[in-house]
Amino acid sequence: MNQLTSALFISRKDVESYYGKPPLITWGILFPAVLMLAVYVKDPATYLDVAPGIIAMTLLFGNTSMAAIVVTFEKRSGTLQRLLLAPVTHHTIVLGKAASAAAYGIATSLVITIGLALMLGMTVQNPLVFTIGLVLGAGVFSLLGLTASVLVREVFEAMTLMNFLRFPILFISGVFMPMEALPTWIKPVAMVSPLTYVVELLRFGISGRCYFSSPWTCILAVAGFLALSWSVAGLAFRRNANR
Amino acid sequence: MRTTVSGEVVSLTGNGADSAIEVRGLCKSYGETRALENVDFTVRSGEVFGYLGPNGAGKTTTINILSGLLDRDAGDLTICGLDIVQDPVAVKRRIGVVPEESNLYPELSCRRNLEYLGELYGLSRAARRNRTDELLEAFNLSDKKEAPFRTLSRGMKRRLTVAAALIHSPEVVFLDEPTAGLDVPSARALRGLVQTINRNGTTVFLTTHNLAEAEALCDRILILVKGHAVTEGTAAEIRRRVEKATSVSVVFSDHAEVEMLLEACPAVHSASSTEGTWCLEASDSHAALTQIISFVEQQGLRVLEIGTSTTSLEDAFMTILKEDVKREPRP
Repeated sequence: MNQLTSALFISRKDVESYYGKPPLITWGILFPAVLMLAVYVKDPATYLDVAPGIIAMTLLFGNTSMAAIVVTFEKRSGTLQRLLLAPVTHHTIVLGKAASAAAYGIATSLVITIGLALMLGMTVQNPLVFTIGLVLGAGVFSLLGLTASVLVREVFEAMTLMNFLRFPILFISGVFMPMEALPTWIKPVAMVSPLTYVVELLRFGISGRCYFSSPWTCILAVAGFLALSWSVAGLAFRRNANR
Repeated sequence: MRTTVSGEVVSLTGNGADSAIEVRGLCKSYGETRALENVDFTVRSGEVFGYLGPNGAGKTTTINILSGLLDRDAGDLTICGLDIVQDPVAVKRRIGVVPEESNLYPELSCRRNLEYLGELYGLSRAARRNRTDELLEAFNLSDKKEAPFRTLSRGMKRRLTVAAALIHSPEVVFLDEPTAGLDVPSARALRGLVQTINRNGTTVFLTTHNLAEAEALCDRILILVKGHAVTEGTAAEIRRRVEKATSVSVVFSDHAEVEMLLEACPAVHSASSTEGTWCLEASDSHAALTQIISFVEQQGLRVLEIGTSTTSLEDAFMTILKEDVKREPRP
């Protein structure tokens, strides 16, 4: 039996059990939609500067939260143990769980993007780069959420742990203002945040320009973060999933 | 070879060739606490093996190690000839585990729960459907097919959890206290299902606190106390190892003198009478009964009632626990 097929079954089951539920979809869409609307109402001329950041933030919060909630819930209910008893590797479980969380994040971000396009006339200049940004970013953030979830026992502990990471990087990653406008001393710190590169990829996808000379820099950086998150999540699962 | 609490040496019966599980020198610690200390045992293919012990003895830890949920500190173990550490996926394909707490997906229906597990075990779509229907039928859950797991009664949840462990027709099934918390009819039904599973050729590794259940179901039993395997054998062998006296109760047709009774029956080492019923303690019940019959004939009496009570597995279990407490501390 192919482990990839097993990962697909795990993902499908998670979408069926959690991510496909209307309350979760609504939760994932409402917050960024309201935030985007507030930015647009304040200044319709500059909302496009903030749009990539808000879409990236939707990915960051949606994926890290949902991945952490689902796995912590399954740990508490014992169903994660049931998965660990099945003939699948830890990496298969990580792949399956991360893929479903990523699919959720990508879907909610796409709804926001389509909403912006239909309602405010936003255009996506480079859909390929935009999609790559969404997919890679969703992968990194889902894996971060999974890692946090296996290090703790309770959902609130996972959220607290994630907030220590999420809120600082929100302010250093060009979410609310373009990288060019960030204070000089923050810029080197921004370079170690995966969110920075995701925001810039989405910015390039929407406007055709980004802070870096080429979107490839961002793609390589996010891919590097993805590989790192994959290794860390696999290790964390192997050591802590059954605790 | 292992020394029992009674000081006798019991030979390990496994020969490796027909063994489903082989465990040698298994050790596991949680910090300073030693959960398992040099545990050895062999489970033969096709048998029901009872793994008994008080709370905290290390039963669930053993199951978690054998099923790959927990790493061992030391020891060799094979399941169906494979090592769980070296080949976890292959071992997991051959085993089914019913944990102490039912752990199926609460929001999924009974059918979807089984089908999902069938997917993870690599069953084809047709095989999944057939096996799901077959198990729901066998476990008397067909009418609950579409009911979410969370809405089932405790007994039904246990039955579906056992069914889930059998979705891939495993060679070995681990049952961790399968009837704990069930009412009498549900527990009885589940015991019947365990016997059916075993009759179909599946090796069963069973932990339970219900010693009557262990006696009824298990071909062989190992008793674990504080992480040490203290004795192993059939229920009858374990009883015999700790049996010190058989109690014989007799009602004679007429009065009998206690001194004469004890003199005529050397196998009886104490006798007392309450309202005409004699309670005799004998080290050898067979010899005692023969001597009592001779005594009756000599005295011209008749026996109106006679009965013996032997040590139950529960008595033996308690004796083993008490002897283990006396033996502490261990080296």
